[in-house]
Amino acid sequence: MALSEKDNLERTIAQTKELLNHLEKSEIEDAQDLIDSLASDGDEDLFVEIGKLTRNLHEALSNFRMDSRITSMAASEIPDAKERLNYVIEKTEEAANKTMDMVESCTDRSKAMSKDADELLTEWKKLYARELDPGEFRSLCKKIEIHLEKNKEDADSLHSELTEVLMAQGYQDLTGQVIRQVIELVQDVEESMVNIIKMFGSMDSYESEKTKPLIKEGVEGPVIDVKKRDDVVKNQDDVDDLLSSLGF
Amino acid sequence: MKILVVDDFSTMRRIIKNLLRDLGFTNCEEADDGNTALPKLQNGNFDFLVTDWNMPGMQGIDLLKAVRADDRLKSMPVLMVTAESKREQIIEAAQAGVNGYIVKPFTAGTLDEKLKKIFERIDG
Repeated sequence: MALSEKDNLERTIAQTKELLNHLEKSEIEDAQDLIDSLASDGDEDLFVEIGKLTRNLHEALSNFRMDSRITSMAASEIPDAKERLNYVIEKTEEAANKTMDMVESCTDRSKAMSKDADELLTEWKKLYARELDPGEFRSLCKKIEIHLEKNKEDADSLHSELTEVLMAQGYQDLTGQVIRQVIELVQDVEESMVNIIKMFGSMDSYESEKTKPLIKEGVEGPVIDVKKRDDVVKNQDDVDDLLSSLGF
Repeated sequence: MKILVVDDFSTMRRIIKNLLRDLGFTNCEEADDGNTALPKLQNGNFDFLVTDWNMPGMQGIDLLKAVRADDRLKSMPVLMVTAESKREQIIEAAQAGVNGYIVKPFTAGTLDEKLKKIFERIDG
């Protein structure tokens, strides 16, 4: 237990008086013992002080290390991560648009093919019903030839459009890599924050906060952990049930 | 039938417009949030509104409330297509007077079904 300054002072005065007493009585050995014990008291204090200093130095050093990491995170890594996430938005948008371009083109093509085939079938049925004269038959043959040629062209175009759809899915690899890097940074930020809490905050409240469910107010976009939540609907059927229970 | 499709993501607007076109609704316009949608609705003779909820600027729920509060627009059918899936939000939308609620991700079949249901109600 540390002594107060007043206690220390009184003790030192008493020891000094005792020392003087020994010296006046020429009790040299006793005086020497007292001096030794005074000196070793001083050593203990010195060790305590050195201990304190060492601890302070250690904390200052680890603070400094953490500070420099936080500085670099705030100054460059987090802005970089924002850019990376924007890149993800750009790439996914690009891929979605590319895919939709191709799908729209395929849809138009398939509609035209279906319309063309419908017209030919109508005439083909007339042929079976012997309703075509030789001139109409020749015209039908020509139309079938054109249709088949066009079919071949359309099939080739469909194939190349579907290949483009396939290639557009490459965004998943690129954005996956970028998102993984950002996840690592988020993990580092989490560790730094825990370090700060260890040093300046309360680990107990950190631990108890960890066990609490995360409550999100207002809009939150797609729910990732549907299974763990009981305040959200799981699918469209749940929405329909909820609305019909409200009289919809 | 003139339809306004409101979503902050252009790809989602495009998906919805494509689906609507397949269902025979070819007259569609777009807006990217409530603030750009509301003046369009007020000046554009729209018959139907499809809107997202979570958008920067004016959110879909506030657009719905604004539509219901506007004398000329209040009877317009509104379909919400959104990722917001909290029960309290669906209830809030219902209380604000939404005509249909679709959670993302959704299918072409769901959109078709909800549109038919809304029009049956209006006609009936």
